[in-house]
Amino acid sequence: MSTNGDEATKVVPVRHVGRWIGGAVAVLFIVMLVHTLFSKVPNGQRSCHTTNGVRSCHPVVNWRFSWNIVWHYFTSSEVLHGLLVTLELTALAMIIGILLGVILAIMRLSHSRLLSATAWSYTWFFRGTPVLVQLVFWFNIAALYPSITLGIPFTHVAFLHLNDNSIFTPFFSAVVALGLNEAAYFSEITRSGLIAVDEGQSEAATSLGMSRGQSLRYVVLPQAMRVILPTTGNEVISMLKTTSLASTAGVIELLGAVTNIYSVNYEIVPLLIVASIWYLIVTTVLSIGQFYLERHFAKGALRVPPPTPLQRLRLDAIAITARFRSAQLYRQGTHR
Amino acid sequence: MSDIMVQARDVRKSYAGVEVLKGVDLSVARGEVTCLIGPSGSGKSTLLRCINHLEKHDSGELRVDGDLVGYEARGHKLYERNDKQICAQRAQIGMVFQRFNLFQNLTVLENITIGQTKVKGVDVEAAKSKARELLARVGLEGKESNYPSQLSGGQQQRVAIARALAMDPKLMLFDEPTSALDPELVGEVLEVMKDLARSGMTMIVVTHEMNFAREVANTVYFLDSGVIEESGDPRLVLVNPSSARLQSFLSKVL
Repeated sequence: MSTNGDEATKVVPVRHVGRWIGGAVAVLFIVMLVHTLFSKVPNGQRSCHTTNGVRSCHPVVNWRFSWNIVWHYFTSSEVLHGLLVTLELTALAMIIGILLGVILAIMRLSHSRLLSATAWSYTWFFRGTPVLVQLVFWFNIAALYPSITLGIPFTHVAFLHLNDNSIFTPFFSAVVALGLNEAAYFSEITRSGLIAVDEGQSEAATSLGMSRGQSLRYVVLPQAMRVILPTTGNEVISMLKTTSLASTAGVIELLGAVTNIYSVNYEIVPLLIVASIWYLIVTTVLSIGQFYLERHFAKGALRVPPPTPLQRLRLDAIAITARFRSAQLYRQGTHR
Repeated sequence: MSDIMVQARDVRKSYAGVEVLKGVDLSVARGEVTCLIGPSGSGKSTLLRCINHLEKHDSGELRVDGDLVGYEARGHKLYERNDKQICAQRAQIGMVFQRFNLFQNLTVLENITIGQTKVKGVDVEAAKSKARELLARVGLEGKESNYPSQLSGGQQQRVAIARALAMDPKLMLFDEPTSALDPELVGEVLEVMKDLARSGMTMIVVTHEMNFAREVANTVYFLDSGVIEESGDPRLVLVNPSSARLQSFLSKVL
């Protein structure tokens, strides 16, 4: 520290030696891992050429992870079609799950014991049995209930009569099974959000003359969203991958599509990589969407909203330049 | 139209077997300010919350502007009112809470317009201009687009008063409106309340501010353990309390 009377006191930050060593080790491991991913290995064969009468032989090398096969199938029409089915399944199941889940959560918090118990039982059943079992159950629903009739209960009056085998296609069964299962989880997520909102908020809404529904819609639910959203993001991403279970019952979604391909050409690992990369891409897009949604619903809860990634980069850049400049000034000062 | 705004006769209320209100009688004249004082747990807040039916009283008669709160008398029977009727009754009674309870997800302006537009069906522009008038009245022009978390406690409470006033209430209830405030912010809220009292609003105020009660109230009620121990003109009751309990209470708070 300078002892010059006219110079401002400098703050020297602590050097975190442990952090630097830890960081270096982590970087080393990452580099090694990436290297193995993109390394080439001999496949046991040799290739020989004769040039100018001289015969020379080299071992044949291939990508360890067969990237050439990965890229070949990455945008093939079967894979892209499977991806589309996966996205459709995820979206439809989440819509059913969210709508039914919110209704169940509100039922659960109702003053009516009967409604509350009904919602509780629903959650108990659908959370308590494996989702794969539920999928298989819905695929086979036609065996248990061959038809659906819309009419007056316990009479022979019928307005609409539907054959289950024609409605419960594998795709529709998967949507129903995944949606109903999600509703059980989502109702608990919504309930935790609703409980987290201070009771004073609904009291104030009530004292203005709002009905329970208005208070929920304009005051309580928007605030509960802040608690619900991060978990919902989790649920969507989890659902994206759970849809792969539908492949066991013949829905050709992303995993089903690559399974069909590798069952013919036996390139199992490269095709599983194709599916994984697509799952990662969709997850990334969803995470970005989640960030902006969370920012939107943080309105009023935070005095200053968190910076977007772009804003954060700019702030980092400004901070680094400032630090660099001050270090420069400091050096100039001490050398003078 | 009678001159009595709120009339309570033998109002009782229990929570899980514990009687919080043990037969309370109270009468508030139109245009008057009434203060409810008493130690915590004496039932002041419960009584206030019964008046706009946030709590349901167990027995006794409670009338606001001549109408029974929560019930309807037809013949010799009392019929419980349905939710819609109760909401309509509440919309005519403004309430200000100890912890402000401003809607955290809405701006200051939206806090004041939402009751008008969603409950009373007022047109959005009319609601906004009324909200701006009220903000000016409580001294908070220019805070329209702030969120409650960006305001001080005193400012939040003043917005809460404006929010209640936006419904054109015939009665205003205040539940310890200054108890959650830093001492230096109490004055600004009391000023707004005094101004409101001067304008002729009927007010019932649960408070620990004895100076406010003495200056502004027409009548003061002292509650202890669910019964009204003493009531009357604050200049008499607070200066020369006759009951020993009020004497001991005042010696603690003054």
